[in-house]
Amino acid sequence: MSLVVDRPRRGQGLTATALLAPSTIFIALCLLAPLAMLLRYSLNEFVPTRKMMVEAVTIANYVKFFTDPYYTAILATTVRIAVTVTAACLVLAFPLAYVVARTQSRFKNLLIMAIVLPLFVGNAVRAAGWMVVFGSKGFFNTTMMGLGLIDKPIEIMFTEKAVVIGIIAVNLPFMVLSLQSVIEGIDRSVEEAAYSLGAPPATMFRRVLWPLALPGILAGTILCFILAMNAYATPFLLGGPLFKMMAPLIYNEFTQKTNWPFGGAIAFILMAVTLALTVSANLIIQRRGAR
Amino acid sequence: MARLEIRNLAKRYGDFYAVRDVSLSIEDGEFLVLLGPSGCGKTTTLRMVAGFIEPSAGEVRLGGQDVTLLPPWRRNAGMVFQSYALFPHLTVAQNVAFGLEMRKLARPDIERRVEEVLALVRLAGYGDRLPRQLSGGQQQRVALARALAIRPDVLLLDEPLSNLDAKLRQEVRVEIRELQKKLGLTTVMVTHDQEEALTMADRLVVMNEGSVRQVGNQRDLYERPADRFVAGFVGRSTFLDGTIEAPGRFTSDGGLRLACTDGAPGKATLALRPERVEIAAQPLSGLDNDLPGTVEFVSYLGAQIDIHVRLSPMDRLVVQIANREGGFAPEVGQQVHVGWPASAGLVFAQ
Repeated sequence: MSLVVDRPRRGQGLTATALLAPSTIFIALCLLAPLAMLLRYSLNEFVPTRKMMVEAVTIANYVKFFTDPYYTAILATTVRIAVTVTAACLVLAFPLAYVVARTQSRFKNLLIMAIVLPLFVGNAVRAAGWMVVFGSKGFFNTTMMGLGLIDKPIEIMFTEKAVVIGIIAVNLPFMVLSLQSVIEGIDRSVEEAAYSLGAPPATMFRRVLWPLALPGILAGTILCFILAMNAYATPFLLGGPLFKMMAPLIYNEFTQKTNWPFGGAIAFILMAVTLALTVSANLIIQRRGAR
Repeated sequence: MARLEIRNLAKRYGDFYAVRDVSLSIEDGEFLVLLGPSGCGKTTTLRMVAGFIEPSAGEVRLGGQDVTLLPPWRRNAGMVFQSYALFPHLTVAQNVAFGLEMRKLARPDIERRVEEVLALVRLAGYGDRLPRQLSGGQQQRVALARALAIRPDVLLLDEPLSNLDAKLRQEVRVEIRELQKKLGLTTVMVTHDQEEALTMADRLVVMNEGSVRQVGNQRDLYERPADRFVAGFVGRSTFLDGTIEAPGRFTSDGGLRLACTDGAPGKATLALRPERVEIAAQPLSGLDNDLPGTVEFVSYLGAQIDIHVRLSPMDRLVVQIANREGGFAPEVGQQVHVGWPASAGLVFAQ
């Protein structure tokens, strides 16, 4: 990258400002301002008896979250599910992304469309679809029992399994697309060069394809992890009333309990944990890749 | 280094034969060039030798061992790719060391070999650079060093010079050839550039439409091309279509009566090398063929001049003359005589 940049002429600078201003203002008003307000709320006090927020500056809400095992367990579940989903997506998406990136077929665009197609259906609608499939009298169980493969319905609905499967289905296209675009940029003959130098496929993958695909792997895992950490509709609909993840919990605090300060605090904790885990995971992966 | 043998090799995609029935033996230390236009099957043949494409039929033997079904990573063939295919995330030294690490050599041996090979391609001291910090010519030499480091049984070069600029290409040709001779490398190179092929090869294989048209050294291909395709592809030729009336007598479709060497009676093509035809203002004496004509087009190429001469409404000939000071320099529209000995014309039955 060159550090020498032509000094833009005055007119160009003004045009750039004019073009960038709307998006900047939009982000400032619609993202930063609410975040700031939420941060302020999270430091307020809540009076349960009158269901009211009282102005204060206290970290009591944060302390409450981290000292109550009920809440920390929900955070642990959320992280566990997000990690599982992200890992599963990476493993499932890589071969698919590789095939799509390398195919010479004229149906390539159709293939990409097929991968993106699930995104045309909203998360809630899709989760409802999964409910039909997973229920004890759902499509999956009736088929398996009809075929005589199982005697009793397998409990999938309202378990962690259902939630994991549901979120994987939602996130997979994002991972595939991230990986596919980066694999497409890797010269095919680089793989062949590794083979001709004596590297079997697994070694070629580890020494050549993986490090070269790393930018896409990072982009895909970040996207997938963030989406999983913040999943709302899928855990709410497929996990059932007893299953708790962070996003439904926040919603519950705000709407059911009208506890805005605590809801705000949980929202900030979710954001901070997501950010911290994403950044540290990337640092680790990048350092290992650099070796 | 080893002997490479290709027997009845074929590659079929559906009904289309990319390569059909190719048999070649490349001797230990020989530099063989596969030459042909794009789509002639030369690259497919090379890739079957490397193991990237599985043949539909036939055999590849390397040093006496049948490697037809071995994957590329078990063949010990060093390959230099058209795009060089250097690992962009590894340094020059790491690129060169890659194949040695695959062979589980000890670290000190690897380091020594990397240094040796980099010195061989005149890149000593460049080990810590990344490929993108090097020029095209340097990257090409790293690719060569990487392929040589594994001490391959055969060196495969896939259009290795096509991404270099014209001047550098001429230098690298000589460099690769000298290195190949010094190390006694059995080498197969693929190219569509006939000049490149002629300067580098011990022996050439001209391919077209998936088949071998002729195998031979430079002189064989140029003086005795096996067919019309080779005559047109290696060097230049003007083709006159016509008929052999009797052995030694050719009549062009435009009605020219020409003396030629033998040939069976029937439809035939007479091929003439532009530099084997003489041109003068007056009739030429002592040549088997002497024809009047009109200069239609002159292209001045510096060292030489190409003159296109109309001999009949259907026959036009290209004559190449050396650009000498005070030499004959005909102009467009001028009446001239062209002539050649019967032995200069190559006859191909149609």
